[in-house]
Amino acid sequence: MSSEVGQQHPLSIYFAVWVGLFIVSGLSYATDFLQDGLMRWGLILLFMFVKAGYIVAIFMHLKYERWALIYALLLPPGALLVLVGLMWMESDYTWLTRIEYFGEDPYAVAKPVVH
Amino acid sequence: MAQAEIPYQEAMPLHDPHSWVTKYWYSQDHKVIAVQYGITAMAVGLLALVLSWIMRLQIGWPGVFGIEPALYYQSFTMHGMIMVIYLLTAFLLGSFGNYLVPLMLGARDMVFPFVNMISYHVYLLSVIILLAGYFVPGGVTGAGWTLYPPQAILTGTPGADWGIASMLLSLAVFIVAFTMGGLNYVTTILQARTRGMTLMRMPLSIWGIFAATVLGLLAFPALFVSAVMMLLDNFVGTSFFMPAISSALEGGMAGGMIEGTDAYEGGSPLLFQHLFWFFGHPEVYIVALPAFGVVSDLISVHARKNIFGYRLMVWAIVAIGVLSFIVWAHHMYVAGMHPYFGFFFATTTLVIAVPTAIKVYNWTLTLWRANIRFTVPMLFAIAFVITFVVGGLTGLFLGNVIVDVPLSDTYFVVAHFHMVMGVAPILVIFGGIYHWYPKITGRMLNDTLGRLHFWFTFLGTYAIYFPMHYLGFVGVPRRYYDHGTTSAFYPESAQFLDKGISVAAFIVGAAQFLFIANLVVSYFRGKPAGDNPWEATSLEWRTPQTPPVHGNWGDKLPTVHRWAYDFSVPGAEQDFIPQDVPREGADGKPQEKGAVAS
Amino acid sequence: MASAAGHATIIRDWGSDVTTFKGVPWGKAMMWIFLLSDTFIFSCFLTAYMTVRTTTAEPWPNASEVFSLTVLGQSVPLLLIAIMTFDLITSSGTMAMAVNYGYRRDKKKAVRLILATAFFGFVFVSMQAFEWYKLISEGVRPFKNNWGAEQFGACFFMITGFHGLHVSAGVAYLLIIAHRVHKGKYDHTNYEIIEIVGLYWHFVDLVWVFIFAFFYLW
Ligand code: HEM
Ligand SMILES: [Cu+2]
Repeated sequence: MSSEVGQQHPLSIYFAVWVGLFIVSGLSYATDFLQDGLMRWGLILLFMFVKAGYIVAIFMHLKYERWALIYALLLPPGALLVLVGLMWMESDYTWLTRIEYFGEDPYAVAKPVVH
Repeated sequence: MAQAEIPYQEAMPLHDPHSWVTKYWYSQDHKVIAVQYGITAMAVGLLALVLSWIMRLQIGWPGVFGIEPALYYQSFTMHGMIMVIYLLTAFLLGSFGNYLVPLMLGARDMVFPFVNMISYHVYLLSVIILLAGYFVPGGVTGAGWTLYPPQAILTGTPGADWGIASMLLSLAVFIVAFTMGGLNYVTTILQARTRGMTLMRMPLSIWGIFAATVLGLLAFPALFVSAVMMLLDNFVGTSFFMPAISSALEGGMAGGMIEGTDAYEGGSPLLFQHLFWFFGHPEVYIVALPAFGVVSDLISVHARKNIFGYRLMVWAIVAIGVLSFIVWAHHMYVAGMHPYFGFFFATTTLVIAVPTAIKVYNWTLTLWRANIRFTVPMLFAIAFVITFVVGGLTGLFLGNVIVDVPLSDTYFVVAHFHMVMGVAPILVIFGGIYHWYPKITGRMLNDTLGRLHFWFTFLGTYAIYFPMHYLGFVGVPRRYYDHGTTSAFYPESAQFLDKGISVAAFIVGAAQFLFIANLVVSYFRGKPAGDNPWEATSLEWRTPQTPPVHGNWGDKLPTVHRWAYDFSVPGAEQDFIPQDVPREGADGKPQEKGAVAS
Repeated sequence: MASAAGHATIIRDWGSDVTTFKGVPWGKAMMWIFLLSDTFIFSCFLTAYMTVRTTTAEPWPNASEVFSLTVLGQSVPLLLIAIMTFDLITSSGTMAMAVNYGYRRDKKKAVRLILATAFFGFVFVSMQAFEWYKLISEGVRPFKNNWGAEQFGACFFMITGFHGLHVSAGVAYLLIIAHRVHKGKYDHTNYEIIEIVGLYWHFVDLVWVFIFAFFYLW
């Protein structure tokens, strides 16, 4: 059990993850040049989770901890998924009622940005 | 590993107090901090009690006492918030949690005594900020304890400018205090138990405190975030929660303070309600779960019987804790939320009734054919079960959308939540104080005064809240300043009940001073208690000294050999076997069973 | 070690006496639990952001244009944000190495790497200050902006502000720990304190990953 004597791992792992994070960050930055759409949003989420996974698993050493701790930390945020999911539905509903009753323009686009 | 960690705990450096100040004010001893939390919480609790008198004066005899609408609004807001947060949460976790966790687990202290000390002082600060609201221009907020925007920060609501700021700031500070304390309780429970103390041997009090603290650590963030956003709406002019509002109702402080703010626009009031109740419903269980735990122990000890279905009790606590995060919008059936939500939240709400009912059955079955000692703590414990059942049953009504719609915002709701989360946990707090006071001070509380206090409180609260169900049925709305005095709109029966309820409220309130007097007088004159007056089994009764000294256990931590419920074991010499008494095998030698070596 | 066989340890660990998280020092357990609580804070902020962004009927300003910088006459979207992201990742790398050298009892290297981490953190906050300054001078306020929904500014200042406060607090925390490690306060331990401050620091980076995805890219 490695954690008993602290988290000692070869430096090469960190360098690999470090480089990996740079690459994935570059990729997620690149999504900005894609058209809005499922593809782009999917990639944003994918790269986000890959990066988050690397950080939590390797840099924060969660991967090397015992399952007792891993589960204790990863299960509670499930409650957040419920919150996010329901608030997504809820906010869509609010938006629809606004369009419906206040006659606001659902297709309005933001004004162009001039620096 | 226990081999390596126990000596570490035994040698845990404790901060030795050198002066009165470090011993009683900046103390790092969990027992002193517990008492500090307790006294402060009781003091603000008394204020909340007086506020309820103000309300009852107005409701019983409208207009007679010259109580202005603003005062009425401010009173129920402060009353509600103080009762829920600054009294119940602070008492059950800050006081019971602090006192019991290290003692019941056989630890020297909390894992980080310094942080624990700071926690109390930050809590005190939050109380001061809350009360400072009375001295700012406009006075404290009158938005109701739910603080719903837009009205919470619109002109016309009392304290819409500075009062709400003091309230929100105070809540944020309270959350910081709670987090510091809560991290300590959780870490101590998980990482600093004594030899042989497995989770499944912990007294249920600790299970309740543990689950409630975890809920708090995960639910208070939502309140924190909504407090921050409402402060921004009010003082910076953002529109998180504020929709476009006709100019006649302009609100917020930002307009007068920041150049260029414009009208509110496009925010979502429902967002606040969701965030508030994402905190608010778990909060109900933050208050209820420690009460569940403590009452289980009181019942078992004073009924001289092991708690019925210990494992099921633990799993019920865990299940309630988990479910409490997915029921929140049952408080919003009439708020205009997504139409599908009613079904979802009604279902989850009714599901949570299952583990709750299991707990009630188990308490009842523990009492069944037990050798009950009707001590004062036991009276309060039984009263809790009865009250909780009454409040829980009305909860089943309110959990159904179609029934809730006409009952929402009536006195039926007031009756429901006072029964289930007002009176019930307060009864447990009283029971717990009568139970542990002998350990804390070394003296017994006066029994006669205790019984008097009990009957006044128990019968009195029924006199107050039972009639409120009827008021709710006839449609008396909650949070109304004036229920009216003509029978054209307000039936005579209801007017009569309002007066009766008020009289009962004064009597119940006055009876609490008996309790305070008992606490003070017994401290000096009470009968010496001895180490274990109730003949209980859990570790806090096994300290070498009573009251326990700093460090609790002398040089060696106790070793646990059994659960906390070995009462009336057939064949045993006494009708109770403390947790640190070794088990005997067939050969008469002590035998270890169940403790998992690691 | 987290392996399939290790799964059986869950019940053993949770069923054992004394400690539930075997081999985890008190401070580290407490930091993890705190971070769990903090996760809920940031998630609530982001959920609120999602909600107001969806509910508002005004159009949402285009972040990629708002946060572009002009370099050599060419407008590069999100340039500063990209640099900030790389800066924070770099700091996470130095932090991870500091933890590693701490456990190797190489105090000198560990302290230097902590200081490097703090430096990158400071750079991050400075760039954020610049970003705020730029946006404010372009007329973005928490209550209005020139392009679309006013909640854009509100969410921007609140979320990046709260994250920035975390970074600043982290820098202070790192400096204190570096000082104390240097003074030899932890020589009798395994230097697990470096891992603890490291957890906090990586968490701040983690939050940024989500902010980057949801606020800047979405
Ligand atoms: C003698 C004891 C008590 C009396 C006489 C009393 C009386 C009242 C009254 C008259 C109201 C206002 C109802 C209205 O106008 O809508 C109220 C509200 C409330 N009370 Fe109590 N109460 C007592 C104890 C408690 C306790 C122990 C709690 C703890 C949970 C509590 C929590 C609340 C809450 C949360 C509200 C709602 C405030 C609001 O509407 O914003 N009360 N109480
Ligand atoms: Cu609820």
